[in-house]
Amino acid sequence: MRRVALLVRKDGRLLRRSPALVAALVIYPLIVAVLVALVVRYAGEEPRVALVDLDDIPAVVEIGGLSFDVEELLDRSVEDVELVRLDAAEAARALRSGDVLATITIPDGFVRALRGMLVSPELRLEFSNDLLGSRILAKVESLVFSINRTLQDSYIDSNLVYVDLLTDGGSGTFAGNPFDIIGLNEAGRRLNALESANPELAPELAELETFVNEAGLAIAAVEDSLRATAHPIELVATETAGRDALLSSLAQAFGLALTLAFIAVILAAGSLAAERDENVLGRLLRGLVRPSELLVSKALLVALLAALVALILALAFGVLVETSGVAAEHPWERLPLLFGGFLLAGLALGAFGALVGVFARDARTATLVALLLALPLMLLGLVPAGSVSGVGLISDLFPFSHSVDFSDAVLSGANPAGSVLRASAWLVGLGLAYGAAARLGMRRLLT
Amino acid sequence: MSGPAASLLAARRVGRRFGARVALVAIDFTARSGDSVALVGANGAGKSTLLALLAGALKPTSGEIVRDTSARRVGWVPQRPALYSRLSALENLEHFARLEAVPTPKERARELLQLVEVTSDPVPAGTLSSGNQQRLNLAIALLSDPDALLLDEPTSSLDPRQRRRFWEIARRLPERGGALVYATQHLSEVDENASHVMLLEAGRCAFSGTLEAWHASEAIEALR
Repeated sequence: MRRVALLVRKDGRLLRRSPALVAALVIYPLIVAVLVALVVRYAGEEPRVALVDLDDIPAVVEIGGLSFDVEELLDRSVEDVELVRLDAAEAARALRSGDVLATITIPDGFVRALRGMLVSPELRLEFSNDLLGSRILAKVESLVFSINRTLQDSYIDSNLVYVDLLTDGGSGTFAGNPFDIIGLNEAGRRLNALESANPELAPELAELETFVNEAGLAIAAVEDSLRATAHPIELVATETAGRDALLSSLAQAFGLALTLAFIAVILAAGSLAAERDENVLGRLLRGLVRPSELLVSKALLVALLAALVALILALAFGVLVETSGVAAEHPWERLPLLFGGFLLAGLALGAFGALVGVFARDARTATLVALLLALPLMLLGLVPAGSVSGVGLISDLFPFSHSVDFSDAVLSGANPAGSVLRASAWLVGLGLAYGAAARLGMRRLLT
Repeated sequence: MSGPAASLLAARRVGRRFGARVALVAIDFTARSGDSVALVGANGAGKSTLLALLAGALKPTSGEIVRDTSARRVGWVPQRPALYSRLSALENLEHFARLEAVPTPKERARELLQLVEVTSDPVPAGTLSSGNQQRLNLAIALLSDPDALLLDEPTSSLDPRQRRRFWEIARRLPERGGALVYATQHLSEVDENASHVMLLEAGRCAFSGTLEAWHASEAIEALR
């Protein structure tokens, strides 16, 4: 361990003498991280929208004699949006953290109001006040318009039944109340009969009065009902101070992982190959240090440096979140856990970089090869899981996506333990595997 | 290579390949206390490979290297200086002294800088002249107070005055019971510094013996 510490100290001293290199290694990934966050959030990814169902809507709803498959209707209406069912508290937290870009709330009594056809039930939409939030508003307006058109047909059919009842008479139900009427035609016939009658007109007149009352009520209800037909569902949209897409936990996690990967992979590869450039590898490996000690020193140095830069970046993200005027709770208390994840990711990425450095002929080649290998592997980590066959597997074999998972879980998860443990296990396993491969590769330097 | 003194460093039937290329074939070599052995031969004859094998920086493909001392007590001065160009001369020496577990690294570093007459100013070693870099290279090899010193064409980039100074320092080792093994292209360095000579030709030993035997042999003509 003493020799590892000596090697780390020496490399630290060399780095301090290369401020331009360090600056480039820090600034470059930050620029890339911002660009990637923009691309990911505004282009490639399906926006996530929370659906809060307070009415516990059944899978199939019957309205006005028609059946609606709710899931199918939602999927069809918002096909390029990822709709996730959450409870109200989870949805509010997700909107604040930027995990979802909007929340659609179906209030209690929604279906009952729809079936009653007297009042327009409200569908509540909360959306973040950024560009994507506006996109979501447009999508949900489109969803409501689509549902309303379907419901209008059903409502009109239902209203026509009332018109028939008014004309011909019969039995029906309105607002849950059964009724029985003679209809306008029958009323006419009875009025005609009254003309030839004598003073015992009292019973018929009473019946006529009942009809007039019922007809008046029904006509008044049809007026309300027709008004509801115009807008069966009313959308109430509220713009909320949700977290900007660039400050969402996932975008932060991408930025942090990119920073870690660039620094750790490139620096480890270049630093190990530089030992060969300086011609000191033979001097070191003839007994001064063991190959494994040299590898550990490289991985440790880059992990420390990358984790430190990532920590500063995480602090900056936190300050931005707190000062951007949103009702967000940045998980400051989880910074130590986040830093631990940075170190793990830095070690795994450093081991990968060391493997590149072992096989490269010189530092320049090592740096170039590290960049050429790491960049596409990092971009693979940005491809949503399951969207392209085989990509997930390749991405799993590079520490980047697990570094993203770790940070995202810590920054956004209500209970991140499971995700953190899974990502940590991947990072440890990959670090050991790449380290072992690099150790094997170092044999060729001596033999 | 012969005589009563103890063997410090030996190669037994050592061979070395680099892929399909054969660099050394079945070399027998011994350096004893007080020996100063010159390795001579044309470029590519295998001198640097033999030195790297003796230093432990390469492993033999066949045969074995036998050291009567630990690898750390064998100093190695490769032809191209092996040092960190962005560290100063003093920092280089201190770093390697700590790795060698020298008890007082700072003092030892300063002592060796004075011995090889290289500046202790905090300037990067890469900016030093090639002569100074080579002397720093020698100083690093001397850090552990080695019993045997392996020098690979150490004076090829030195001017005559630097070359003379270099050999003054290097010759002290056999004088105090150590062994010096060096590769050279200069016959004058053989005559002035060697007690024994080994001539390598295409990876094979063409001559091995004392300086007197070397002068008496026809092998010397191969280098003229």
